[in-house]
Amino acid sequence: MSGVKREREESFDELLNPVYKGKSLTDPINTAEDKWNLLPAFLKVKGLVKQHLDSYNYFVDVDLKKIIQANEKVLSDVDPDFYLKYLDIRIGYKSKADPKQIEVLYPPHECRLRDMTYSAPIYVDVEYTRGRKIIIHRDLEIGRMPIMLRSNKCVLNGRTENEMAYLNECPLDPGGYFIVNGTEKVILVQEQLSKNRIIVESDDKKGIVQASVTSSTHERKSKTYVVTKNDKIYLKHNSISEEIPIVIVLKAAGIVSDLEVLQLVCGDDSVYQDIFAVNFEETAKLGVYTQREALEYIGRKVKTIRRLNAPKLTIIQEGIEAIASTLIAHLSVENLDFREKALYIAIMTRRVVMTMHNSKLVDDRDYVGNKRLELAGQLMSLLFEDLFKKFNNDFKMNLDKILKKPSRASEFDALLHINIHSNNITTGLNRAISTGNWSLKRFKMERAGVTHVLSRLSYISALGMMTRISSQFEKSRKVSGPRALQPSQFGMLCTSDTPEGEACGLVKNLALMTHITTDDEETPIRKLCYILGAENISIADSSTLHTHGTFGVYLNGTLIATTRFPNKFVTTFRYLRRTGKVSAFVSIYTNVHQSSVHIAADGGRICRPLIIVENGIPKVKEDHLRKLKNGEWQFDDFLVNGLVEYLDVNEENDSLIALYEKDIINATTHLEIEVFTVLGAVAGLIPYPHHNQSPRNTYQCAMGKQAIGAIAYNQFRRIDTLLYLMCYPQQPMVKSKTIELIQYDKLPAGQNATVAVMSYSGYDIEDALVLNKSSIDRGFGRCQVFRKNTAILKRYPNHSKDILAGMRVNDDGEPIWQHTALGPDGLGEVGMRVQSGQIYVNKCVPTNASESVLNDNPQQQQQQPQQTHRDQPMVYRAPEASYIDQVMMSVSDNDQALIKVLLRQTRRPELGDKFSSRHGQKGVCGIIVQQEDMPFNDQGVCPDIIMNPHGFPSRMTVGKMLELVSGKAGVLDGSLQYGTCFGGSKLEDMSKILVDKGFNYSGKDMLYSGITGECLQAYIFFGPIYYQKLKHMVLDKMHARARGPRAVLTRQPTEGRSRDGGLRLGEMERDCVIAYGASQLLLERLMLSSDAFDVDVCNSCGLMGYNGWCPTCKTSETIIKMTIPYAAKLLFQELISMNIAPRLKLGDVF
Amino acid sequence: MSKEPQIVIRKAGRDEVDFILSDVELSLANSLRRIMIAEVPTLAIDLVEIQINTSVLADEFIAHRLGLIPLDSEDIDELKYTRDCTCEDHCPKCSVTLELKANCEIDETMNIYSSHFIITSGVGNNLKLGQPIIRDPMRKGILICKLKKHQQLHVKCIAKKGIAKEHAKWSPCSAIGFEYDPYNKLKHTDYWYEESVENEWPKSLNSDWEEPPIPGEKFNYNAKPDKFYINLETTGVLNPNEVFNKGCNELQQKLANVIFELKKLDQQSNTDDNSNINGMDSNINNTHNINQGDDYSNNMGRRTQYGGGGTQYGGGETQYGGGYTQYGGTTQYDDRNRPNRW
Repeated sequence: MSGVKREREESFDELLNPVYKGKSLTDPINTAEDKWNLLPAFLKVKGLVKQHLDSYNYFVDVDLKKIIQANEKVLSDVDPDFYLKYLDIRIGYKSKADPKQIEVLYPPHECRLRDMTYSAPIYVDVEYTRGRKIIIHRDLEIGRMPIMLRSNKCVLNGRTENEMAYLNECPLDPGGYFIVNGTEKVILVQEQLSKNRIIVESDDKKGIVQASVTSSTHERKSKTYVVTKNDKIYLKHNSISEEIPIVIVLKAAGIVSDLEVLQLVCGDDSVYQDIFAVNFEETAKLGVYTQREALEYIGRKVKTIRRLNAPKLTIIQEGIEAIASTLIAHLSVENLDFREKALYIAIMTRRVVMTMHNSKLVDDRDYVGNKRLELAGQLMSLLFEDLFKKFNNDFKMNLDKILKKPSRASEFDALLHINIHSNNITTGLNRAISTGNWSLKRFKMERAGVTHVLSRLSYISALGMMTRISSQFEKSRKVSGPRALQPSQFGMLCTSDTPEGEACGLVKNLALMTHITTDDEETPIRKLCYILGAENISIADSSTLHTHGTFGVYLNGTLIATTRFPNKFVTTFRYLRRTGKVSAFVSIYTNVHQSSVHIAADGGRICRPLIIVENGIPKVKEDHLRKLKNGEWQFDDFLVNGLVEYLDVNEENDSLIALYEKDIINATTHLEIEVFTVLGAVAGLIPYPHHNQSPRNTYQCAMGKQAIGAIAYNQFRRIDTLLYLMCYPQQPMVKSKTIELIQYDKLPAGQNATVAVMSYSGYDIEDALVLNKSSIDRGFGRCQVFRKNTAILKRYPNHSKDILAGMRVNDDGEPIWQHTALGPDGLGEVGMRVQSGQIYVNKCVPTNASESVLNDNPQQQQQQPQQTHRDQPMVYRAPEASYIDQVMMSVSDNDQALIKVLLRQTRRPELGDKFSSRHGQKGVCGIIVQQEDMPFNDQGVCPDIIMNPHGFPSRMTVGKMLELVSGKAGVLDGSLQYGTCFGGSKLEDMSKILVDKGFNYSGKDMLYSGITGECLQAYIFFGPIYYQKLKHMVLDKMHARARGPRAVLTRQPTEGRSRDGGLRLGEMERDCVIAYGASQLLLERLMLSSDAFDVDVCNSCGLMGYNGWCPTCKTSETIIKMTIPYAAKLLFQELISMNIAPRLKLGDVF
Repeated sequence: MSKEPQIVIRKAGRDEVDFILSDVELSLANSLRRIMIAEVPTLAIDLVEIQINTSVLADEFIAHRLGLIPLDSEDIDELKYTRDCTCEDHCPKCSVTLELKANCEIDETMNIYSSHFIITSGVGNNLKLGQPIIRDPMRKGILICKLKKHQQLHVKCIAKKGIAKEHAKWSPCSAIGFEYDPYNKLKHTDYWYEESVENEWPKSLNSDWEEPPIPGEKFNYNAKPDKFYINLETTGVLNPNEVFNKGCNELQQKLANVIFELKKLDQQSNTDDNSNINGMDSNINNTHNINQGDDYSNNMGRRTQYGGGGTQYGGGETQYGGGYTQYGGTTQYDDRNRPNRW
């Protein structure tokens, strides 16, 4: 097994090989430069989509069990003795089976091809009563769970490259998505404001300060506010009808004495006391002094939404209920001990008071430390719990119905009734993932667009999708805050990769070296805090809480203890974390303004690893890096040995991080592993991005996803709706370390084109490119386009079904033209050419499909057999012919025959095809020039592409120039050069190579005109640049129409290329024609060529008639024939239908 | 220039020749270069009949690769252009057929090379014409595709005569180095430099063959380039000397055509002053007949047609001239109005 494992990791091992990139083990190790080896080591352990996999694994291994525990028992209202208890839950394996052997019906690729869902059974163990006996039943299947690819429940988990190939999977595919009904679906990472944390905001205009907390538990979500109103402080909650003075709330929660309230909220700070004092008056006026009065006051204000048969509560009970479970719902109350809750509310109030005093103490909503990322696992868990509850509910209803019946023949077995609904969970999960609509009954939450189809346009687009984060903010709102680049995003979210337009800044991407945490257990951490000397808050004295020098210890936002020695506490805690006693992903940091120490162990925080620096010396030494290179150590060893640790955004703020080793000073706490990890995977493709104007990098991030290239190793096995592949993709001459890490060099999307930066022919204005015809002949930019067409052979209720008819032949026995591509089975033959109008699946549907089988008319049935089926073939319609690449025939989930035909086109670049370099510089091909007309250098080298120099000054893409120089040096030297961000091959070295090879150091060359042979007067910037062919091709866009279909309602030409629509002469064009005075042209364009219609208009009544007859005037004498647009006629009729009579008054023109 | 053109061969190899062409005009030297790249006829696979292809690559993909394989074209003159041939599609007189039958029955990946081709029908007994060019030390040729066990590739390729103007696969040259005036004495180019041209622009090797400029020498604005350093590198389909010879022939033929057409035009204008549209048509037909040897350029490269036809249009211009005057009238009308408006 270990040998097998070795093989699987070979791609990464290459990076850690004894000799790699010209460096061998014996070479001296320079910690400053070689510490970057930690990055491949990190990615080897974590992978690029580890956040999805981790989250899903956590869900199936831990969260599911928690859900089962939370909804453990199903009881009956009828029979009190009955119970059913869930003992355990497993995905994909039975209790006695090996957990590694997952029972999936089909491997993932087969699911893709056959439009099925890649899922595994959900097994539960139950204990229930049958009569007097208690029965334990194991391995009860309650549904099927979609499996995330490459998760630990996936068959691909831990496979070697060879085994992957055997399963038709690409070893470079990152996984992290689901296959539902044959489509690959990604659950995008959702960004949210953190739950269960106090956020203080202020509105300066209205003079309002508010502290809010969103409480989220398994049962409900609610939001509690503490707000100011006329400088008085109130508590606000959705289920309480009006704002309640804060002192009343605190009294209700058991802080009865005014002194204690003041101590808890203000401490001994007289300024705060002055601000807060006014609130006591309000309470006194309302006459609320005791806890009972306070609870009654609250109880009266509670909006009661009771279920039908729930008993009615007294007012005081309502008040207790409100404090115990409604307010700050994430804190649970035991034995009516409200102290914890009272403290929480007091803290909220204190934060409000502090902000009233100093408005700078507000929290920033856009600060990444205040955000949590919700991943596939969390979303799946929400969904599953909802479905599971419904499942149990249905089961219980069913149970009660049966148990109500007084007599039963046999002993009641609950299991017989549990399976009936088992489909609910399966379909519920499938539907949610395939539609992206997350509707959770218990939270009354509807969220659309959670899942997206994994874009397989290129390897990068798929990868980019897996690291994408979508925000909950509305796209339409014009706010700049959430869209702006936050300094706290540094190293966590890519600074370049965001779309342009409405989603700009709202959709983000993860940086290269990030990790998203999952939930950690709170209890051990709480205990640890007490052991470390923090005083438990439940026994602390209210008066000492806010004394100077006392720091509150908050665990996940809740005050749990106080300490007088915050620094010692934090250092010891960190020490324990570094030694591995506490989970590495628990963060701890001090907030001096709030005199608090915050410990966070919740899931969804973004964090990243950093090298620990102590006393100005980084802990990672040569020795450690050598061990890493030897393969003795892995990334986790660095973590365990306390050399590297994960910091989340909040803790980052508590640290001093040096970028480079030379920047380390005494106060430095951490050292960056590698600087280019500020960028994400997609932005990492750009060579020398630190020399580009920043929007250019953003443009490239969008365009890199549209580049045609290789998609996956299994690309020829895939049958996708649309697949673009490049014939001869090349790895870039100038690559980056990121390119190697994400293995873009193995699945590239582009070619190294020799570019001359000069103007040529005038067909290169506005970023157009001049292409060399010979280069195209030799395969430059050549690509294949595959298109899927699906046919389903349906079965009908009357036992008739769709069939495939063979090809039709003419008198000579030759197939008719339409059927040329068909084989005798009525399916297109692989390799055949299909032209527009030809048929590739000769499907026939029964004529009597809608008739019932029970039709008791035997005569009619006997008459029919001659014509039982009607042709409904699949006809190919496109301007260019295609070839049949693959024909697949299979059976889908519902036993219907499924036919997929993959059609292929091979395209060479033509005028108007779009290309782009890796610097956001796109352009279309403007002219294709013969090689002999192209300029050339003294060695006879011709450019593949001529680019207009006007592209440079305004775009300021210096990175592109550097790419050219480095690329040229690489070509001459026979080496691949690096353009890694904040690093890469140095221009000086590149120039040196150029000079050594007899070229000018600047990358400029003297060229000769291909037309005259004279040398060009100007020097020309000349060398290789990596060009991407983008998916926008003329062939897919060209459109013209002379005659064609019309819309039914208006009789005007249809709209859009797909409907063979007309080209609209719009309002502005119309205005031009009017202004010019070409009235006849206007008439022709707007009426005659569009929807001219002859109407009979009655000259006396002005209404329309027909057949030369006016039905209103009952005469034919006054009828005048005229031509009007059909849309006008329609308007008149619609007006008539709403009792408005539009009358036409006709007059003579001449 | 009364001097005869001269050639000094500096280096000659199987696929490469390096020579100095002197005492010619720049235009002639460049024309030669252009013709050698684009208009020397060679042989290349043009039609591919795919009988079986179960390899991973698509039919068109393989066909494209096959087309780019260099085939021996030394005796290309024995072959006609298909369009000049009497046959319907292709025949041994205008094409060479190559076949490839590859079945992979081994467990490892099998590589299919261009050396696996067999010529099934060539021109007469000439076995050389159409033979794939092999230059690698292992004598395998070019890799066409790879086969896994049980994959097959059966193709019948029809190689035809053609020129690179139509498709680059017919080009006999991989690159033609071309340089003159290495010291930039003629000042045809302005070197870009930061401090000094001498230090920043490396000298080309050809500068050893010329006198370095004497500092302070007067600039001779009448001087013309007359010494060209040409490095001709072929793909192997033709010997470099043949490429040069055939290039010269092509050029001569083109010039001959132009002269012929011009002469005919002279005669015609003497006999028939009022050439009309019909006359033009017949003239174009004539061009076709005469140009048989170079008919290609009539169809594809428009140069000859324009060369011949251009004059024809010139003849017709008088006719159109009437029309122009009419339009000219409107233009004048516009011009008169303009000063008033602006």
